[in-house]
Amino acid sequence: MSFDQQVRGRLRLILALVGVVCLGLTIQLIRVQFGPYAPIFASWTSAALGQTQEVRPDRGLIFDRDGVLLAGNTSMYYLEVELRQMAGNEEIIASVISRLLDQPLEDLYGQLTTKRKSAGLYRIRLTRDDGQGGRFPITVDQTVADVLNGFLADSEAPDLSGLALVPAPRRVYPAGSLAGHVLGFVNQEGRGFFGVEGYYDEWLMGRAITVQRSVIPPEASLEADPPAGVNLVLTIDADIQQMVETVLQETIESSGSESGQILVMDPRNGEMLAMAAWPVLDPNQYAPWLGEDEEEEPVIDPGVGGTYEPGSTFKVLVMAAAIDAGVVLPEDVFVDTGQIEVGGHVIRNWDGNAWGPQTMVGCLQHSLNVCLAYVASQRLGAELLYSYLDAFGVGRLTGVDLAGEVPGQLRTPTHPEWTESDLGTNAFGQGVSLTPIQLLSAVGVLANGGTMVQPHVVREVVGPQGVYWPGTTVLARPISARTAQTLTQMLSESLPNETHWADVAGFQLAGKTGTAQIPTDIGYDPRWTVASFIGWGPVSDPRFIVLVRLDKPETSPWGSVVAAPAFQEVVERLVVMLEIPPDSVRAAMSAGQ
Amino acid sequence: MRRRRKQAFRQAPWRLQVRLTSGAVLPVITLLVVAGIYLAVNAKVATAGREVLTLEDRRADLQRSNAELMTTLAQLTSPARLMERATAAGFRPAGPDEIDYVVVDGYAPPPDFIAPSPPSSPGEGMTALSPAFTETLGEWLSRRLGGGGGAGR
Repeated sequence: MSFDQQVRGRLRLILALVGVVCLGLTIQLIRVQFGPYAPIFASWTSAALGQTQEVRPDRGLIFDRDGVLLAGNTSMYYLEVELRQMAGNEEIIASVISRLLDQPLEDLYGQLTTKRKSAGLYRIRLTRDDGQGGRFPITVDQTVADVLNGFLADSEAPDLSGLALVPAPRRVYPAGSLAGHVLGFVNQEGRGFFGVEGYYDEWLMGRAITVQRSVIPPEASLEADPPAGVNLVLTIDADIQQMVETVLQETIESSGSESGQILVMDPRNGEMLAMAAWPVLDPNQYAPWLGEDEEEEPVIDPGVGGTYEPGSTFKVLVMAAAIDAGVVLPEDVFVDTGQIEVGGHVIRNWDGNAWGPQTMVGCLQHSLNVCLAYVASQRLGAELLYSYLDAFGVGRLTGVDLAGEVPGQLRTPTHPEWTESDLGTNAFGQGVSLTPIQLLSAVGVLANGGTMVQPHVVREVVGPQGVYWPGTTVLARPISARTAQTLTQMLSESLPNETHWADVAGFQLAGKTGTAQIPTDIGYDPRWTVASFIGWGPVSDPRFIVLVRLDKPETSPWGSVVAAPAFQEVVERLVVMLEIPPDSVRAAMSAGQ
Repeated sequence: MRRRRKQAFRQAPWRLQVRLTSGAVLPVITLLVVAGIYLAVNAKVATAGREVLTLEDRRADLQRSNAELMTTLAQLTSPARLMERATAAGFRPAGPDEIDYVVVDGYAPPPDFIAPSPPSSPGEGMTALSPAFTETLGEWLSRRLGGGGGAGR
């Protein structure tokens, strides 16, 4: 073999080798591009080059007025399995998760062994049966996550290769059901519903941003943090809230009531100090509150969303209107004959009796329907009455910063269904519906010298740019300060005679009981009532106004019997917690003794 | 000068070969050096980038852990839990007639609670990186020549 032939032979060999390598590369390229593992390679590529991810900031925190954390954030973990990394350990993974989470072993094993690779699915999120034919992702808390991470890190622990714990934010309410109705809740998608969470959802949520993340970053740069949501400080006092919830629960149990609410507000500035409702709502477990019937939305916060006919507590507003308009004086005498006809409708007293000559104080003291119907129909008249009720905000939203508020209903003469008899029935709180916070806001006018302030639950908003205090919003001045003082004095005088169960030794209080029938489609329910009480004090310098509402009490239908004692119990504790000395002590302090 | 150089090449032709070879190899060597520096810088940047990512993950872990601890603390000090413990310890709520009020001249009530500020805005975080990792060569040069100002982007 000549030298040239040897050279040619070697060249052919080299060319052949190069050809084989090129062919192999071509085959591999086709395989990478179109083969069964193409999605994996594609994901690697996108991961290396960078993936766009939506990053959400932590949701803002919610505190009570003294810094007690009411809503915070923690982590939950989704259980995901990288199917390619499992090495015949499906049974072990299923077994461990089944034992830790008390989930059916067969269900988990089935999810792990279902052939998904052919469908291009290589990573699955484990789910559980929701009991209604659907499936929810399985989530675990930090404790279980720590156990599983321990297994993953320990070579001698059960082989969980392929299992991954993917963190996700979770809203948590450390105080459980405390103020649950006020707070509302946050769903798994991070959206707030009802209460503060619903009203301030956009503010609390912050703003999500899209970032580019890569396994091998082409440059060293810090990722931008998404603009954080604000932190909120509520006007709610957790200790007062706890006390009020305890009193409400005891009252519900002792009276056999179906449900109820107690609201406490500072009448000077509209700050809600407590808003308790029964049945309680634990925002950590809100699912039972989501009604199955989509058309019938549940009333999550009955304090702002649950309307009712207020009954006799409404008489306070009617009498205030009459006094302010100058059509009656406290000492004016009305001779009660036991019934009065207004617009063809005969109105009788709660006991059906005639009470004879009564001053206006006596009318309130004995809660006489006939007297108030007379005042409304024959002294005030429709125009004056409804203009005053409108000024008190009846039938309108208060604008409280809680999601889910409803306006209630007040038919005025411009309403097509209004009749003259409404004038008589509205006078004692029938045929008009409002929410507890509306009544609190309206009657709060009497406790605040005739000025109506907007009730609110957020005291402070803390954002990255600084602190903002919403402050007090004056809504209206429906009556004069003199009228407010007169009404307060009248109710203070009448209260001890109306019910002694609202007395608190050492403090002069003003208040009114209410017992309202419940309207149904076929008239008023003959048995059940809404028993209520609204009162405020100390009369000389009101610091609180309290509304107690009990639905369908069994032991007694009367507000003076079941609701007034709850008011008394709340106020006895409230004056201590708000550090309000008894009247005599305050008088001595004022006198400088 | 040119004649003397021609004379030298004629006497030693290898000088011309050396000159041509070095002329051809020098750009290659320069290219290799620049490529090497480029690769070294990129590797360093990528390493720093990975470190940043690791630190960010670590920060996220710590934030999660912090939030967890904060929540646990809040659960342990919730009003219901404290009331339960106080009752178990033999305490009971005081009534209005059991409180003595004393006037203390000059007493200032504690200030209102102010919530902690949420994390800062994105712009503030970006400046935390050293300009060595972010500025261009031109920016570095202008910074050096300009007396140290104008760092980073």
